[in-house]
Amino acid sequence: MTGWQKITRNVRVISMAFEIEMRQSFTDAFVLFGIIVQPMIVAFMALWMLRDQVADYAIFVVVGSGMTGLWTTLLFQGGNSITGERWTGTLEPLACAPAPLRVVVTGKLLADITQSLFSIIFCYAFISILMGLPVTIAKPWLFAGSIVLTIIAFIAFGMIIGPLFILNPDFQRFQNGLEFVVYVLSGFLFPIALLPMWTTPLSYILTPYWAARALHAASSGSGSNEEIFFCWGMLVLFSVLYFFLSKYLFRVVLRKAREDATLNMQ
Amino acid sequence: MEKIKLNIKIFFEGAYLSYVGLFRWLRPATYFATLVFSPLTQMLFFVLIGTYADGSSHAYFYVIGNALMNAAMSGIYGVTMSIGGERWSGTLPYLFGAPANRMSLFIGRAFMHILNGMVGVVTGLLWGWLLFNMDYSATSPWALFLTILVTTFSTAGLGLLMGCIGLITRNVMFVNNTVYFILLLFSGANLELSSLPVWMQVVSKFLPLTRGIASARLIIAGHSLAEVGSLLLEELAIGTFYALLGYTLFRWFEFVAKKRGTLEVF
Repeated sequence: MTGWQKITRNVRVISMAFEIEMRQSFTDAFVLFGIIVQPMIVAFMALWMLRDQVADYAIFVVVGSGMTGLWTTLLFQGGNSITGERWTGTLEPLACAPAPLRVVVTGKLLADITQSLFSIIFCYAFISILMGLPVTIAKPWLFAGSIVLTIIAFIAFGMIIGPLFILNPDFQRFQNGLEFVVYVLSGFLFPIALLPMWTTPLSYILTPYWAARALHAASSGSGSNEEIFFCWGMLVLFSVLYFFLSKYLFRVVLRKAREDATLNMQ
Repeated sequence: MEKIKLNIKIFFEGAYLSYVGLFRWLRPATYFATLVFSPLTQMLFFVLIGTYADGSSHAYFYVIGNALMNAAMSGIYGVTMSIGGERWSGTLPYLFGAPANRMSLFIGRAFMHILNGMVGVVTGLLWGWLLFNMDYSATSPWALFLTILVTTFSTAGLGLLMGCIGLITRNVMFVNNTVYFILLLFSGANLELSSLPVWMQVVSKFLPLTRGIASARLIIAGHSLAEVGSLLLEELAIGTFYALLGYTLFRWFEFVAKKRGTLEVF
């Protein structure tokens, strides 16, 4: 198979996985909770709590609350992207299919992230229309660029979470707790300077932190263009690292499926 | 006399077995992840937003509010899954086929989760002492104990009602997550109720937790049990009302499901 044929095939696999995941997720009320109900409640609470503290707090809350929806969806949908196949008994057929599992999962994650972007739109509409607060984006082009890199970075992150959850059930046990840990470490709704110094390196290795920093800086105009470009650089760097790590993790998952035949055992 | 003894036996056996059934995967790591780590991270998130908004001197407000939310963690999620889980695990026909007293059987489902919720609240308050230097020197331990008991009971009452709704819907997780976040928003755990719009203050009066959180704040500030007595009685009444409403729904569901043969219809 030539390189071009390989690309065409992978694009087709991604688009099919994208479509199936979209159709399945939109019938799942829990997904709707993650992208609509929870971010809007978090937005309302944050808005009420931060109204005297943060300049341009409306856009700060829109971005921060939207990021919580983005991360929650990635954690639960992306984290279960492979485990869910096991629950429905389709993991081993999927592992044996000629389409690479990584490519299938990429399509699923793309669908999950695309859906979860609605959380930002819902928060925007909620705060702007229902609450009547002025919500303007200071640097729209840089904001758009940050969104694109955020999607890529979140997919890369999901490519690690999915295999980790299936390889080590202990990760899955901590799924609910990990939701808020990333909210805290990534500074979605407050600066990480409030946290103890020892946690800062942990924030730095998380792409949601760099994504939140870039989106906050571009939306409120609080950061310089150089700062936003720096965040973009970090997003690209960690996305590449995550993709390489995921390659190894997927290899282990496939080996378990094909050689040990233990993948379906829970 | 024999009948009373039998009902007490059904109550405790049902309580224990449903708890074991729900936590069939019960291991120390799972328990820690669900009932210690996850509430801690949620508390950290809201306390940090709160201290970012109001300064660290107001941390006590958020610590107490979020520690009491742990009662809802057990009361809503645990109880809902104990009742609703009967349908998912296919045990509902046996449950409704048994001649056991329905009240003992129904209320018993909440018993272990009330104990669990109390442990969760105490753990949350201890985290507050360890991480945010909470001062409990003026607190009457017995008054606080009673407040925690009444609050966990009242949230479990709402959980019993939600569990019944879980028997007639496919989206149990949507139901209990939404209810949990509504409590987070309306109970005053993170927002001063007096600062909220009037309609939200009215809604909060009909929900469990609101008065429990208010009582706990007063008791920790040094007030006596007599001063919060009326709040606790109202909290108890609300919890009892929801539990009875849940029981009525439970009996109605049993009647309709048996009549139509829809016990396991999804």
